[in-house]
Amino acid sequence: MGSHLLGWVAVLLYLAAEVLAIVSLRRPKATVDLAGAVCLATGLAVHFGDLQLRARALGSVPYRTLEGSVSLFGWMLGIAYLALWIRHRERAMGAFLIPIVVVSSAIGMLLPAHVAPATPQTRGALFAFHVTFAILAYAAFTFSFVLSILYLIQNRQIRRKQTGLLFSRLPALEVIARMNRTAVSIGLSVLVLALAIGVVRAQRLWGSLVDPKIEWALVTLILYALLLWLDRRGWRGTRVAALSILGFGVVLFSYTVVNMYFSTAHNFR
Amino acid sequence: MSTVEEARLMLLGWNLRLTDEAVRQRVAFDTDEVREALRQITGQGLLSEGVIVATCHRSEIYGLFEGGRGREDLTRFFAEWRGLAPAELSRTSFLAEGAEAARHLFRVAAGLDSMALGETEVLGQVRRALMLARESGTTRTILHRLFESALACGKRVRSETEIAVHPLSIASIALELAGKVFGDFSEKTVLVLGAGETGTQFAEQASEAGVRHVIVSNRTSERAEALARRVKGGVIPWEEFPIQLARADLVVGTTSSSEPIVWRNDVEEAMRRRRGRPMFFLDLAMPHDVDPSVKEVYNVFCYALNDLEEVASENRIRRAREIPIAEAIVEEDLSKFLGWMGNLSVVPTINEWRLRWSAQRDAELARQPEAERERLKEFADALFGRLLHEPMRRLKSERDPGKKLERLEAIRHLFDLDEE
Repeated sequence: MGSHLLGWVAVLLYLAAEVLAIVSLRRPKATVDLAGAVCLATGLAVHFGDLQLRARALGSVPYRTLEGSVSLFGWMLGIAYLALWIRHRERAMGAFLIPIVVVSSAIGMLLPAHVAPATPQTRGALFAFHVTFAILAYAAFTFSFVLSILYLIQNRQIRRKQTGLLFSRLPALEVIARMNRTAVSIGLSVLVLALAIGVVRAQRLWGSLVDPKIEWALVTLILYALLLWLDRRGWRGTRVAALSILGFGVVLFSYTVVNMYFSTAHNFR
Repeated sequence: MSTVEEARLMLLGWNLRLTDEAVRQRVAFDTDEVREALRQITGQGLLSEGVIVATCHRSEIYGLFEGGRGREDLTRFFAEWRGLAPAELSRTSFLAEGAEAARHLFRVAAGLDSMALGETEVLGQVRRALMLARESGTTRTILHRLFESALACGKRVRSETEIAVHPLSIASIALELAGKVFGDFSEKTVLVLGAGETGTQFAEQASEAGVRHVIVSNRTSERAEALARRVKGGVIPWEEFPIQLARADLVVGTTSSSEPIVWRNDVEEAMRRRRGRPMFFLDLAMPHDVDPSVKEVYNVFCYALNDLEEVASENRIRRAREIPIAEAIVEEDLSKFLGWMGNLSVVPTINEWRLRWSAQRDAELARQPEAERERLKEFADALFGRLLHEPMRRLKSERDPGKKLERLEAIRHLFDLDEE
């Protein structure tokens, strides 16, 4: 694989978007906001180019390797935030979310590249859908995680009557909660799809379901489903936010530790 | 340098907060009295232009006068008109002239002279004062420009600083906090307990802030109904409000009850019915209307009067931090205005006019044959002297300072003297 020149340009653009997001948080200005969105959008376009190059080099979808999947994850997170910005002009989140985009895009390039040829397991449309959905679900849960942190911060500001900068810039609690509900619902739906495709493929390829990854995906699924149910049952608020943070911990665990040490089908080798 | 008397701005004012009751009644103006005063002042030739800014905190007369007697005449006039001893009047009043008078108005418009620093109502009051003077025909170019500049400065201060951002009133602080819980208010319901003065004020402010559903509950239902009519809201019978608590997103306690009227059990039940949707309690009553343990219920936000007063005093400090920036803006805008006005004096204007003329003359002469230049120059100077003689005489002998400045302004404009 090449030197990821495009990828690094994208990271620089994301960094610029982050700086502008912080500036806008301090003194909101429509022009700064727009400049930030343009940086982010350009970064995403360049990043897409990098993913294309990866795909060409691998002769398959770019994310059958760990570094490719992390990179795709950052890209999807960026797309999701851009959509939110276009639809709701929601800018307070950017300063908190873009760093994750920066870090995951950078990790996607710093990890040693794998050049193993594609195997039957890592080929085909079903595989592509499986991984895309799974990563989309992770991106949605990351979104929910950031929203939950913002919820806890804002809740604390309101309770302590600290009506300062963050108080005035962050959205209202009910608004954050609504966005969180949407993020979790999307995450849950695509995770179900990813899991279903995964189970079908596992049956077909190995004839068994003995991958710990499946168990952890089920844990994730149950946890977020529980979150949505409790949200309707009166747990809305800080408890749901705490649950979402816990859920993100599980996601991280299953994406890293489970993939690398327990799972045989998800270790990117 | 000039023997011509220059027209000057002046200000005679009373700070009604600092005057005692007896004087305050004499120096406070209502709208009709403002009209009458403006008519008299300009009719008697005390001032050539006049605007009176009269609010519940201040009575200020801005005018344009010429010569040294303006202030004594004005003070005497007011003493006679309002039946006060001149000594008494001048003891409680303050006088300012020229730049000081203008600066005062700019600071007033910027909210820097207000009790509630940066408050925005004063902008409307200053604008009304200008309108009233315009209707009465007592303001022309100069005061008009002064007031428009002050108003523009006032707006600039509020948009470029945070002096008017942080709310100071209890109701607006409460609504700001609740706004950060609920987001959009328009679909939320406010329940006001008690229809006394505080309850009425809050209900009105909430409906002004865009709350569409206001419900009132009061021990005597007539008063609840009267208030509900005023804010186009509904009424809940007093006995039923604990059961109907779940309908309300924001509950405001303003009764004079000697013990709490909102109890934890009722709130817990309401939260169950609301499926945990947040509730916001505001206890403006002394002693408290909301039991302290209500605060512990999950997803309930509860604030008492003293909580909000803390925020108010913090916000006062926040606003005060913006004073230096605001003062700098005032000085910047003020110097623009003073620059414009300073140009409006007879001698400099005429000198500039001459300078402009001689430059044009020389340009014209340069095109003439060398031999004839000296003769043509004499001719041109003589012609210009003739041409200028009558306008100059009239300008210098104009007694009305406002008219004089207006004419100077016209000359500067017609001959493009401000363009460099």
